[in-house]
Amino acid sequence: MPTVVLLDVSLSMTRLVSLEGTEEYQRKHLAAHGLSMLFEHMATNYKLEFTCLVAFSSLWELMVPFTRDYNTLQEALSTVDDYDKTCLESALSGISNIVQDEWGVCIPCQVILVTDGSLGIGRGSLRHSLSVLSQRSEESKFPLPFPFPSKLYVMCIANLEELQTTDTLDILERLIDLNNGEGQIFTIDGPLCLKNVQSMFGKLIDQAYSPFHAVLKCGHLVSDMQMFPRPEPVIIDEELEPVPKTINTELDIVGFIKIADIASPPVLSRHLVLPIALNKEGDDLGSGLPEETEDETSASQIAGKMPSFCVLLHGSLKVEGMVAIVLLGPDWYGMLYSQADSKKKSNLMMSLFEPGPEPLPWLGKMSQLGPILDAEENPYGEDDSKSPFPLQPRTKRSYAQNVTVWIKPSGLQTDVQKILRNARKLPEKTQTFYKELNRLRKAALAFGFLDLLKGVADMLDRECTLLPDTAHPDAAFQLSHAAQQLKLASTGNSEYAAYEHNIAPLQTDFSSSSADRL
Amino acid sequence: MKLFSEAHKTVFVVDHCPYMAESCRQTVEFDMFTKNRAPGIIPLAPISKSLWTCAVESAMEYCRIMYDIFPARKLPATLSSMMSISGDQRLLTVAPKQLMGATRVNFIVSDSRAHTLNSWGQEDQNLQELMAALAAVGPPNTRMDPECCSVLHGLVEAVEVLCKCTDYQHEARTTLMENADRVSNRGRIICITNAKSDSHVRMLEDCVQETIHEHNKLAASSDNLMQIQHCELVLIHTYTAGEDSLVSDRPRKDISLALTSEVHSVRAGRQLPAKLTTLVQQHFDLASTTITNIPMKPTFSVSEQEEQHANTSANYDVELLHQKDAHTELLRSEGKNMTPITCDHFKGKKVDPHLCNSNRDGAVKDTVTLKWCTPRTNNVELHYCTGAYRISPVDVNSRPSSCLTNFLLNGRSVLLEQPRKSGSKVISHMLCSHGGEIFLHVLSSVRSILEDPPSISEGCGGRVTDYRITDFGEFMRENRLTPVAERGFMMDASMELPLERAKSQLERHTRYWPMIISQTTIFNMQAVVPLASLIVKESLTDDDVLNCQKTIYNLVDMERKNDHLPISTVGTRGKGSKRDEQYRIMWNELETLVRAHLNNSEKHQRVLECLLACRSKPPEEEERKKSRRKREDKEDKSEKVVKDYEPEKSWQDSERLKGTLEREKEELVEAEIIKDSPDSPEPLNKKPRVSIGEIQPLEKVKGPVSLLTMWTNRINTANSRKHQEFAGRLSSVNNKAELYQHLKEENGIDTHENGKGSRQ
Repeated sequence: MPTVVLLDVSLSMTRLVSLEGTEEYQRKHLAAHGLSMLFEHMATNYKLEFTCLVAFSSLWELMVPFTRDYNTLQEALSTVDDYDKTCLESALSGISNIVQDEWGVCIPCQVILVTDGSLGIGRGSLRHSLSVLSQRSEESKFPLPFPFPSKLYVMCIANLEELQTTDTLDILERLIDLNNGEGQIFTIDGPLCLKNVQSMFGKLIDQAYSPFHAVLKCGHLVSDMQMFPRPEPVIIDEELEPVPKTINTELDIVGFIKIADIASPPVLSRHLVLPIALNKEGDDLGSGLPEETEDETSASQIAGKMPSFCVLLHGSLKVEGMVAIVLLGPDWYGMLYSQADSKKKSNLMMSLFEPGPEPLPWLGKMSQLGPILDAEENPYGEDDSKSPFPLQPRTKRSYAQNVTVWIKPSGLQTDVQKILRNARKLPEKTQTFYKELNRLRKAALAFGFLDLLKGVADMLDRECTLLPDTAHPDAAFQLSHAAQQLKLASTGNSEYAAYEHNIAPLQTDFSSSSADRL
Repeated sequence: MKLFSEAHKTVFVVDHCPYMAESCRQTVEFDMFTKNRAPGIIPLAPISKSLWTCAVESAMEYCRIMYDIFPARKLPATLSSMMSISGDQRLLTVAPKQLMGATRVNFIVSDSRAHTLNSWGQEDQNLQELMAALAAVGPPNTRMDPECCSVLHGLVEAVEVLCKCTDYQHEARTTLMENADRVSNRGRIICITNAKSDSHVRMLEDCVQETIHEHNKLAASSDNLMQIQHCELVLIHTYTAGEDSLVSDRPRKDISLALTSEVHSVRAGRQLPAKLTTLVQQHFDLASTTITNIPMKPTFSVSEQEEQHANTSANYDVELLHQKDAHTELLRSEGKNMTPITCDHFKGKKVDPHLCNSNRDGAVKDTVTLKWCTPRTNNVELHYCTGAYRISPVDVNSRPSSCLTNFLLNGRSVLLEQPRKSGSKVISHMLCSHGGEIFLHVLSSVRSILEDPPSISEGCGGRVTDYRITDFGEFMRENRLTPVAERGFMMDASMELPLERAKSQLERHTRYWPMIISQTTIFNMQAVVPLASLIVKESLTDDDVLNCQKTIYNLVDMERKNDHLPISTVGTRGKGSKRDEQYRIMWNELETLVRAHLNNSEKHQRVLECLLACRSKPPEEEERKKSRRKREDKEDKSEKVVKDYEPEKSWQDSERLKGTLEREKEELVEAEIIKDSPDSPEPLNKKPRVSIGEIQPLEKVKGPVSLLTMWTNRINTANSRKHQEFAGRLSSVNNKAELYQHLKEENGIDTHENGKGSRQ
């Protein structure tokens, strides 16, 4: 989940904070302090997050494009200037474009808006933007909700009392509502000071940037790991009382499946699985994140030399071309696999399926998957040549069952031609001739298209008269028999018009042809 | 909260009155073959379909597309398993975002009375059943009195049918119990008829409205019936070509809270099926994708009106329908940096289908064009796929369609490319089949937030180079999953779910599983393979035990011959450890493995007994203590403390089996090896105890002799006096009896006895 930091650099941010006995601070210093703390946290615990920094007043500017280089972001914080008034709408439109250009519309993003709570005046102020919300045309739509899934966190460099003197809080709440309720407003508890800003950003970190740690288990083989990006709770709106589903922190591997059998399944999200070594205090020593810096701690060197189940699993999954099926929670599954980034680099990844007992129709119900030893004979064959997957559905789809569709004349013409082509090759093609004939007969009866039966009967009668002298005598018999039967069926209401009835080849004395009929 | 929507239940009411037998007056040439091939012969006169035929085949086309994309599936079991998750988290539809399996169609034809052709039941939900039922009804009977025929009968019946629960609704109601009223009942009635006038249409609407009102009253006082919350009536007036429509189109409007109605006036013939194809897309939120540039060998056939040249390769287009969600990413990013995505030859041609003859079938719609990318290899790849949706070809039997679908059904897959005016090629979708069903997979085509991730070799455990990758690969193959027939496990409710069994198999197989080569000796030895693969089983057969024992004897043999062990020198200090030290480590490890499975079955214990009996004696007391400590640590770690131990009974068996094997061996292990082994049970020089109730805790064996043992020994000694002593024991020297003395005489080889056999 990439992060966009939207920093208010309007003049109101330069307001002084009254602090007793210490040096003077402006609100923007508090904001920078909070963000700096956030970046520091991300640099150590959330290294893979892409973050960009946008400063805004009446205009907006992309200070730092999406990056994992938190030093650049820190530096940028100290170089922002002061500008004029707050104009949030254009800034929101701006970041909407930045995100879409970079990530498209399917990747969830977190937007952190840092402001002092004075939302501008006049045109372009948030108050004005929201008041004319209903009068907007399709082209000048308000940028919220963002076209991509998002969370909007508003960090107010102001305390609650201050905000409540105006309607600022209501307006900000409307903003969150506009984003489909996705987001939250944070305010400073108590007087404005470094400590309270820290605690506010601390809350944001706990909420949105705490790394997800879990234990991966395969029987007795276990490994501590971190998932990045962390899996977010999923809400299934078909539920009676939808409760966000979160994944277990103990993830059990239940078995393995070949990549060909799992066949590029649709997934909700995918995550890097990074093995971590936890020391006794529960802090991670080496979190497997990048940046091989010089001052690499000896702890992480040790961790690198300690065997990890994740690494073993990754190696074998890669070599065997398999995935491991993981139980994420009640009736919720995922898969672990090796993902190659380049020829040299590859990773253990986890993809989450849609919650439910049967996320993939071709595997059937997940709870019905069992060990191969339970099957009477190895479903994969002794030489690994077979597979029990994919499961076949009960009924075939129309394209797999040779349905009859005559809504276009070409469909009907093709079917008639097939009969005619086979009719000319009687008696060799007796079987296919009758198969096609019966298929046409059935469809004509179902559609109440009795005229067609008459027409085809006439056609077969004519074919009979056109038979060359060299033709096998059986051909004439079969043609007139078939024509006769079709005519009977075309009368409707008779016993010959029964749907299940099939026209059988005429039993003749020609021994050569009787062999064909078997 | 999204409950059952209108799309869950569809009732088709098709007018079967005599006037429907009228010709639609659009003729079809069917004698094409003759026309082209045999000059001089006058082709048969073209025929035309009746209004009835047009109506029925259009309705069937609607159902075909619907069943392709939302195949009806038997659901209760799935549903209930979802609903039983926990109190509040019950799901009310099966697959999220999809109507998977939950679409139901009821087909009614109406003349002098209503004929219901099928039920809501899943077994009735397929084309074949409907076709057979329609054939039984046959075309309208022109001799019927038109006065007593009306489509009204069918509409009334349709309302009645809508009040009946489907299997899904029934399941939801019974599961929700007190909240049963939260299960909604909505439906759609699609009525194809030939109306006389606008007021006739109004009369039909009023009648449906009234019937709903009445039946809701009935349903309110019934346990089985459900009130209709909402019904969508789609009235399709169809008339013969050349006539003017007596009924005007009318968009959807509310008749009452429970009923909305819309009227479509459509000419029979080609327009009617086109109309229903459009409707099915609206009703089920479908979208269209045209696969373009499909290379195909040209046909020689002349079925199409268009000219086709033999021996020229041509590219074809195939149009597919699927759920709209498959286009989410495309549609959202439309207007960003994408080129127009709607198909050129359809775009902007929003013309009234009645007037539009340039477009052959009157079908006017937006379709997304994606380009076929000829698959280069058959490599299986795991694509990052964000959605998979079933498809239905618009023109199912056309040659291009069937070429594409057959290609896919044969197991190939095709990547689809977004046509862009400039820039690199973007693969956005993939078509492939799974078990006879074709799916359109949506592939992620945007920048990944996981780009440039750290390699696994840079993280924890990344520096370790001797992982048992191949062995774990073998382990994974053994622990592959397979679908287990539901019947098998349903018979016994107490039986574990197959997936639980898979989990417990993984538990067993990993009880002792060192991850790196230098951590293990036994798994590097080919000789141990038979035992290692058998011991993890839940239960062993006698043959399995025999094989395990063979493995052990084989090891004993190796030790005797002082064979080299593939032991790792990593971790051992100084010079490589001595050979007997290596064997001690090997035996300890093997014992750990076997002990981890001790409680699986009684036969597993026999393997341990054999192992304990055979393993060699550590050289010094010091070593022994050390190794015991080590092993105890290991055991504690693996949490597989062996609790129960029943030595005597199995001892007998293993000894007997062993005896047979030993005959083949010329030299046998010395007796004191067993006696002094730190983990071996007490010297078994006592009578086998018959009592099963007597179970010796293992711990006891290691410690000083307990009172119980002293007592049992005493009793045993006393008992042994009460019967005649074995001949062997009587003639033994030092409690050792020489067996097979005749062999010695025959071979002239000095056979050493280990004395174990003589104890019995």
